[in-house]
Formats: sequence, C-alpha cells, structure tokens
Amino acid sequence: MKRTVSVTASWMVGAALLAGASASASAAGAAETSGVKMIEENCGSCHTPDSSGKFPRISDIRKSPEGWDMSVSRMQRWHGVTVSAEARAAIVKYLSDTQGLAPSESEPFRYALEQQPGAMENLPDPEMVQMCGRCHSTARPGLQRRDAAEWKRLINTHVGQWPTLEFQLLSRDRDWWTIATTTTTDTLAKMWGFKSKAWDSWKGHKTPDLKGTWAVAGHQPGKGDYSGTMTVSGGAGDRFDVRYDLSYADGSVLKADGASVVYTGYEWRGTVTLNGVENREVMTLSADGKTLSGRWFGSVNDELGADVTAVKTDGKPTLIAAQPMALKAGERAMVSLVGDSLKGAVSFGPGVTVIDSESKPWGLSVVVEVAARAAEGPREVSVGGASLSKGAVVYDAVDRVTVEPPMMIARVGDGGGPLPRHYAQFEAIGYLNGKDGKPGTADDIRLGALPASWSHDNFDEAAKELEDAKFAGSIDSKTGLFTPGEAGPNPLRAYKTNNVGNLKVVAQVDNGQGKPLSAESHLIVTVQRWVDGWIR
Amino acid sequence: MKHVKPLNAKAALLEKAAGEGRAEEVRVMQTVVAGCATTTDPGWEVDAFGGTAALCSPMEADLYGCSDPCWWPAQVPDNMATYTNWTDGSDSAPRDWRNLQAVFPGKK
Repeated sequence: MKRTVSVTASWMVGAALLAGASASASAAGAAETSGVKMIEENCGSCHTPDSSGKFPRISDIRKSPEGWDMSVSRMQRWHGVTVSAEARAAIVKYLSDTQGLAPSESEPFRYALEQQPGAMENLPDPEMVQMCGRCHSTARPGLQRRDAAEWKRLINTHVGQWPTLEFQLLSRDRDWWTIATTTTTDTLAKMWGFKSKAWDSWKGHKTPDLKGTWAVAGHQPGKGDYSGTMTVSGGAGDRFDVRYDLSYADGSVLKADGASVVYTGYEWRGTVTLNGVENREVMTLSADGKTLSGRWFGSVNDELGADVTAVKTDGKPTLIAAQPMALKAGERAMVSLVGDSLKGAVSFGPGVTVIDSESKPWGLSVVVEVAARAAEGPREVSVGGASLSKGAVVYDAVDRVTVEPPMMIARVGDGGGPLPRHYAQFEAIGYLNGKDGKPGTADDIRLGALPASWSHDNFDEAAKELEDAKFAGSIDSKTGLFTPGEAGPNPLRAYKTNNVGNLKVVAQVDNGQGKPLSAESHLIVTVQRWVDGWIR
Repeated sequence: MKHVKPLNAKAALLEKAAGEGRAEEVRVMQTVVAGCATTTDPGWEVDAFGGTAALCSPMEADLYGCSDPCWWPAQVPDNMATYTNWTDGSDSAPRDWRNLQAVFPGKK
C-alpha cells in the first residue's frame, strides 16, 4: 500500500501561519499553552505524557529551530503523521523556545544554519568525523543536545531506518555498531549533553522589542558591499514584518519586504523577497537586542546570498561598517559609515582627511582624501562617540591575493529535470603581508574583495582527459560566478557521463600598481542531491 | 537436491541453475546485495581520489543501485524504508531521471 506523505509545509509557510495563529495569543503564557496543546494533539498518541507531564523522547532533547522542524517532518514521513502547517509551526516555535540551544551552543555551527557555501568542518575529534561526518555534516549532531541514553536511541534509530548503514563502505572499515554504542555515545554525551550552564542561564530569555528602524550593512559576493535601512514592525508571537531599502556600492537599488519569526529569543528566521527573488534569512540577535547578524540566501539557490549586520537605531552611537574598507594611498574615496547616531568628528587616523560629509538614514556618507605617503595598515574609524577597531585599511599596493572559497562544490541541474543547478560564486581577496613582510602569517591584513578577471581550467590530467573544463560549465569572467552544466547523461562525453568535473578557478588581479597577481580555487562540479534538509 | 522441493519461482530458478552446474554464479550474485563492492564504491560527490573521474559514469546508470540498498541516504532517497515510492513509474534512471523529485520540502 502506498503511503501518502504530506511534507509540503515549508519553513516560512509555517512561520507565516504561525503569525496568524499567534495574533490572538499576545501573552507568552498563551503561546506556551498552545504549544503543549499542539504536541498533545499531534504527537501524544505515541509520545504519551508521563505522570510528570514529560513527553517521552521529545522532552529529553534540545535542538535548533531547523532541527525541530526536521524532526516533525521526519515523523510525517516515517509514521504518516498528519500535522497541519499551523500546528507544525506552533510545535517548532514552542520546542525551540523551551528546548532550544543557547547562543554559545549554536555559535560553532552557524555555517550549517546559514548554508555558508564552501564551509569546511573542523571538528577536533577525528572519530566523530568518521562515525558521523562521512554521511552528513557534524553540525547535525552538534546542533542537538541529549544525554547518553538519548544519543544511543538516535543511533538505534539510524540502524533501524537505514539497515544497510553498517555494511556501507563508509562504515565497514570498523566494528561500527560497537563503537557507535560505546565510545561515540559517550563522546556525544560529553560534548553535547542535555544539561548545560549556557542553556540554564539563557532559557526563558524573551525576544526584545525589535520594532523600529535599523541601519544595515553587508557584502554580497559577486556584487559588492551594500547598505541601507531595515524597518521592523509587529512583534506579536515573536513575528515581525520587515521592509528593506538598500543600495549597493555601484548605486543599484535593492528593495525587499518580508516576514520573520524569532525563536529561542535570538534566532531570527525570515523570508524576504529581494528584487522579486525569494530569500531566507538566518540571523542571530545579540542578547541586548541591539544587533542582528547572519546571512540571507536564495530559497532555491542557497549558495547565492550575502552576509548582513544590522544595528537598531535607538540612540546609542554604534558604528558597524566602513564601506569600502580598503583605502588606496594617494586617492580620494567615498566611504559609507553605517551605524546608529553617527554624529561628531570623523577620524580615520593620520594621513586620511575627511573633506565632505552627508547624513544618511543609515549613517554618514563621507569623502576622504588619502595622502600618498599615508602609512599602510589597519585604522580605527571613529565618529563622535562611536568607533570601529580595524574598520578601515590604508594600502599602497596589494601584496597577495587569495580566492574564496578555497574549495567549492557546484552541482549540475535543470536540463528538463526538477532539480535546479547550484552555482559557485568566487571572490578574489587582497591582502597586505603585514609588518613581517611574509605572506600567510598572522599579521597579514585583509583588504577585502578586489575586481578580478576569472577563468577556469582542468584541475589535473584525469580532468584533462575527460575534457571537464569543456563540459562541466563556465565562469563569468567579470563576476566570478560559475554556472555548471545541465543534469543528465551527456551523450557527447566519454561513457555518456554527467557534466561533472574537477576544475581549478583562476583569478587575475591588478595589485594597484600595474603588477598582475593571480590565485586559484578548487571547484568540484558534481551530481545532484535529492535529500537536502535545513541542516545537511 | 532431490529431497528439497522449491516453494517459489526464485527457488525453482536456483534448482534449475544447480542442475546446469551454475550454482556458483548464483552464490556470487548473492553477495551483491548491499551496493558497491569495496573496490568499486565510487563516492557520491567526490571519488576516492578527490576528483570526479571515478564517479559512476553516468550516475544515472547505477542510481537505483544506490537508492535500492539505501547506499547514500544523506544524498539519495532510499527505497528500502524511507522513500519507498521514490522511483515509482521511473523504471530506468538513464531514461526517466527527469521524473525523480527532491524529497525535502521544495523551497528552503
């Protein structure tokens, strides 16, 4: 018998409905009652509350909002549970608020929540990487908290749901089951146990009042810096409406509006339509409610997005960005100083003269003249009582360049199939060698993204033989955006193989004095993935 | 085999193969129940050499060898327990790959 599974309730569809559901629930207590009721009604037939009111399994786990949503989705898929989008959103909100993660607990794994392209994991325990990270990111367990018995149940669940797990190449080099149920369980409980001081001190933290105007600064790889304002309204049930008025450094305008929900008192999750394209936002709110930071990215193409920092304009002088950060000696530049209540004298340190200044809704626009002999190096930027350490850098010539990300994956797609291509966006990042004059040392000074000329080539002899550079896709010579080839077998290739490839991406940059610099990145163009949850 | 009577079609085929002296072939095939052998397991995104030349070529030619035995469950829907209907109506992946849908909610 076929089982019909309804998993169409996407993240913010649920969140948007949550707002409607919460409109009448102005008090937090009402929301909590609603959350418990939703769990009783939708989960209680299996997770029957015990005499103390605890829901077996559910009450012994803490997770990120994404983790809880994936759990509900899994119950729908595995057990045919029917949950309305409204109930799913209410359950995820309640569990994230009452059994979530403290900011310090989720902080090491923001890359997974933010879908940072090209992120490399760096878990210090090699056995954990081998036992968990060979199939999925170690952020998946890292964004959960359980005691040893609960971690063991999760391992049982793995083997029950994926019975060949132990026999796979990635498991059968060891006595996987014995290790998983002994040392791995112990390590998980030790690293990510259910109880923590961080959570004890954070739980119950209420979402601050976010209504008002925020100054916004960010950087979009391939496009450049942007700045502007964000207007936040609403707030019932931790649900907010948002409007953006942003512009890029090249003058192009970015208009957006959307809605967001704040989970656990700090986890901002939004859906915004940016110039007609739906994007998700994953940001964290500082404990004082003054600063939001994170990333926004395409709902479909999450590899394309931008970092973002926003500060609430509540009268406390704060400087969050100087754009552009790098100022060339002997030249004049227009710099956007983004922040709250930026009034008073502007300083970039010796050798940089401010010759014009204009107030903006997001801060100050200033024109500076950098002396030809101004000292190279980082500068503190200050405006009245606000300052930003290393907010700007004066340079004469770029010493070296790197390509970010240093390794990247793109995926074939489209070609008549339902899965889209996944692109790869590269940037050339300039550096000064610093006082020691040596490249790649701790005192190197980052200058930010530089204009570059882009190309791609075969990574090695095997790639050359299969003509990967010809078939796997192409890179825009000006923007550094790599577009992979179409999905499906390609009859023109050897073995009719897919348009996959092992490539190097090359950036050519002028050092500012007519000398060419170059750097490379490694790009794997590979096949689709059909399983692609919030946390990979 | 004279004291053993086949109860189903598969057992009848086994008896026939044994009668033709091909029992070893049957036994060899029985070892291929859980996807690729150690020496040929090609990787999903990246091959054993850190590139793409040794991946399945094309991937669709052997895709159901991944989905049927639950071989790459983090990337490929498994037909074994989780997404039992994933390949329904798409009998040949090289021909029907355009019908294969993502299994997590479409938008992220």
